[in-house]
Amino acid sequence: MSGMTAVGVSALTAFVARGEASNRVFQEMMDALPVSIYTTDAEGRLTYFNPAAVKLSGRVPQLGSDHWCVTWKIFLPDGTPLPHDQCPMAIALKGGEVPTGIECIAERPDGSRFWFTPCPAVLRDTEGRIIGGINLLVDITDRKNAEIQAQEQFRAIVETTPECVKVVAPDGTLLFMNSPGLTMIGAASAQEVTGRNVYDLIAPEDRDRFREFNESICLGEKASLEFDIVGLQGTRCHMETHAAPLRHIDGTIVQLAITRNITDRKQAERTALLLGAIVDSSDDAIISKDLTGVITSWNKSAERLFGYTADEAIGRTVANLLIPEDRQDEEPDILARLQRDERVDHFETVRRRKDGTLFDISLTISPVKNAQGTIIGASKIARDISDRKRAEAELLASEARFRQLADSMPQIVWTARPDGYLDYYNERWYEFTGFARGTYGDASWEGILHPDDVLKCRETWYDAVQSGQPYNIQYRFWNRQEGGWRWFMGRALPVRNSEGTIVKWFGCCTDFDDQKRVEDDLRRVNLDLEQFAFSASHDLQEPLRGIKLYSELLTNMYGERLDSQALEFLSYMRGGATRLEMLVRDLLSYTQVTKFEKSVEDSDAAEAVTLALANLAGIVEESGAQITTGPLPTLKVHGTHLQQLFQNLIGNAIKYRSPDRTPVVRVTSERQDGGWIFAVSDNGIGIAPEYRENIFGLFKRLHNSDEYSGTGIGLAICKRIVDRYQGRIWVESEPGRGSTFQFTLPF
Amino acid sequence: MIVEDNPGDVFVIRAALQKASVDAELSFVKDGEQAIKFFDEADADNGAPCPALVLLDINLPRKQGGEVLQYMRGTRRCGQALVIAVSSSDTAMDREKMRGLGANCYFHKPSTYAEFLKLGELVKELLSR
Repeated sequence: MSGMTAVGVSALTAFVARGEASNRVFQEMMDALPVSIYTTDAEGRLTYFNPAAVKLSGRVPQLGSDHWCVTWKIFLPDGTPLPHDQCPMAIALKGGEVPTGIECIAERPDGSRFWFTPCPAVLRDTEGRIIGGINLLVDITDRKNAEIQAQEQFRAIVETTPECVKVVAPDGTLLFMNSPGLTMIGAASAQEVTGRNVYDLIAPEDRDRFREFNESICLGEKASLEFDIVGLQGTRCHMETHAAPLRHIDGTIVQLAITRNITDRKQAERTALLLGAIVDSSDDAIISKDLTGVITSWNKSAERLFGYTADEAIGRTVANLLIPEDRQDEEPDILARLQRDERVDHFETVRRRKDGTLFDISLTISPVKNAQGTIIGASKIARDISDRKRAEAELLASEARFRQLADSMPQIVWTARPDGYLDYYNERWYEFTGFARGTYGDASWEGILHPDDVLKCRETWYDAVQSGQPYNIQYRFWNRQEGGWRWFMGRALPVRNSEGTIVKWFGCCTDFDDQKRVEDDLRRVNLDLEQFAFSASHDLQEPLRGIKLYSELLTNMYGERLDSQALEFLSYMRGGATRLEMLVRDLLSYTQVTKFEKSVEDSDAAEAVTLALANLAGIVEESGAQITTGPLPTLKVHGTHLQQLFQNLIGNAIKYRSPDRTPVVRVTSERQDGGWIFAVSDNGIGIAPEYRENIFGLFKRLHNSDEYSGTGIGLAICKRIVDRYQGRIWVESEPGRGSTFQFTLPF
Repeated sequence: MIVEDNPGDVFVIRAALQKASVDAELSFVKDGEQAIKFFDEADADNGAPCPALVLLDINLPRKQGGEVLQYMRGTRRCGQALVIAVSSSDTAMDREKMRGLGANCYFHKPSTYAEFLKLGELVKELLSR
């Protein structure tokens, strides 16, 4: 009777109830029906049952005594026992409303169970009193088993999938959620959440979106959504859901969704983006390739460095694209090393750009492994080192140039590190010393020095190294060719970088032995000369004095007895003696010019002029000379020297005056680069051009003593003084008009 | 006492002293050694005379004037005599040196007669003190 509906069955029982129960035709019909039927009296005692009922129940009931289900154990679908007086037939006989569609489980005497739906109806007499009942039992076991199995399968699927499976009502009520889903939202059991609103579990900022989403699903659409949940514990997770409409039992459409936690996936995506950004923004070219050398990734800097775009490069092999012909064997070698899990570190080589140009490059290549640890390719970082290589080459070239220069110089040339350690000597050194190449540092030079000079040299050198001041020394080297010591001059200067730190010392040793000996001789000779001149002039003065005195006495005491000629002779004698005296004094002065050895303090030129004029007082007055001075400075020249200069020059200016006019002398000074320039100008007789040089020579006179007195040493003394201070002295003159003597002195 | 080796200078000194009317006995010694001998003798013989004033030339043969002065200042009897150092040199160094050795005065020998006569005045003045 599977095709029969409940209504249909009720109609049949109703029909049968209206007919006569004892009608044999009907009884035969009922006996033949494959559906279980039985009838009862008003108390529920069985009055008839058909063979199908026997089959179903598993026993033959006893008419008249057995109640309808008396032998059966009946259970409700949920497994709780159903008392007999509450089963549908009992309720119907008591006059209650006939329940329909109830599903029960019955247990046979042999313990087997079956599902059935009872369809009871009551029999009434003409007065409407209940006189009995009739019940039809529909065996729904198969259907029920299928149902249960389907449910079990569903539950199994739903519970074993790792995704969340849920059913949500249009208003957001959670109708069902599987265990994985419960875990995702932080619920310990289904009770906690079933019946609650899912919107509460969703992150506040996504609630409106989810609500819209839910509503459109429940209107019949299929869709997917990404959203965040906060769950029961407040743990935020990123979710991706795929939902479809589902027709619920009561006819409404609800949302059935499979939702997965994509938090990790999202994190991985973010990390991948970050790494991608890092790779792309790196200044170094970053390239990846597989184990056959095919390029699999190519960052921006790689585009810049090689000239190929990512599209042009990916898919091509490194060997084909980048490596020049003469270096093709590098790639197999690199790949082999990668296979062995070896890194290639800062490998310097040459690669080729898209435009064909070659350039120097430094490569660092590391193997790339998959999750299992198998090497699947390589990552390569490439850096353009052309600039560095060029700088290195230039440095080598410049060092080579330096060596070439150093070896061609006649001096010994050496260099040292900033700490004073000597690290290079040129060829001259090795030629002179005969030392072996390769030794450096202090030990390498001390062996050649005079023992007395070693300590001084070391001290002076390391003083210079520390202070950074230029190094200057004189010392003796052993001359192995001829034996003996030779004087050398050592000099060194520091070389600084752009920050001012010393990076190297450059030094030079020059053989100045010959000069030194000459200098020493000269110094000694000069000293001797000075001493000689001093004592000579001293000794000469004595007899001179005698001559002068006695010729004077002679004139005074015997003058009357002498004739005019004798007197004349005497005057010549006295004149000669006087001249000689002046000469000796001037000579002494001349030799004394270089006498002052100690350092010079400042002296006032104006004061020197005043002193000089005081000494010249006699001839100034006699000649009526007018002497004017401009502003005169103080300078580092001995006062005596200044005085002598002015005294000689002003004296000359007055002495060599023109007979036609009053002598006018002007003394001026002017500041120049490096020193002062003084001028003494006069309006005297002047000097002819051809004599302007040699008037500064010793004893050079342009006039004889009749015309102008003088020793001829005055200007020589001036020149000697000026020379001592590394100055110059010269004259500009116009014969008949006057002369200007000029000289320079240091500040 | 005049310690002077140059006869020319001796003459002029004598003339200068005369001109200035220096009233004293003059004795002349020609070199430093003789001078020292004189002082030694004076020390030995208490009756020997000591000079009131010594005109001492610096530049002497055998023993220099400076040595003589130094020696003299050390002698017992004549050590306190007045001394005028006389020299053709006019350097500050020499003046200092003689002063340091005990000279009372320094006279630079001039080359004119007139100047030389001043020596006489100087002697007279010193003796009168």
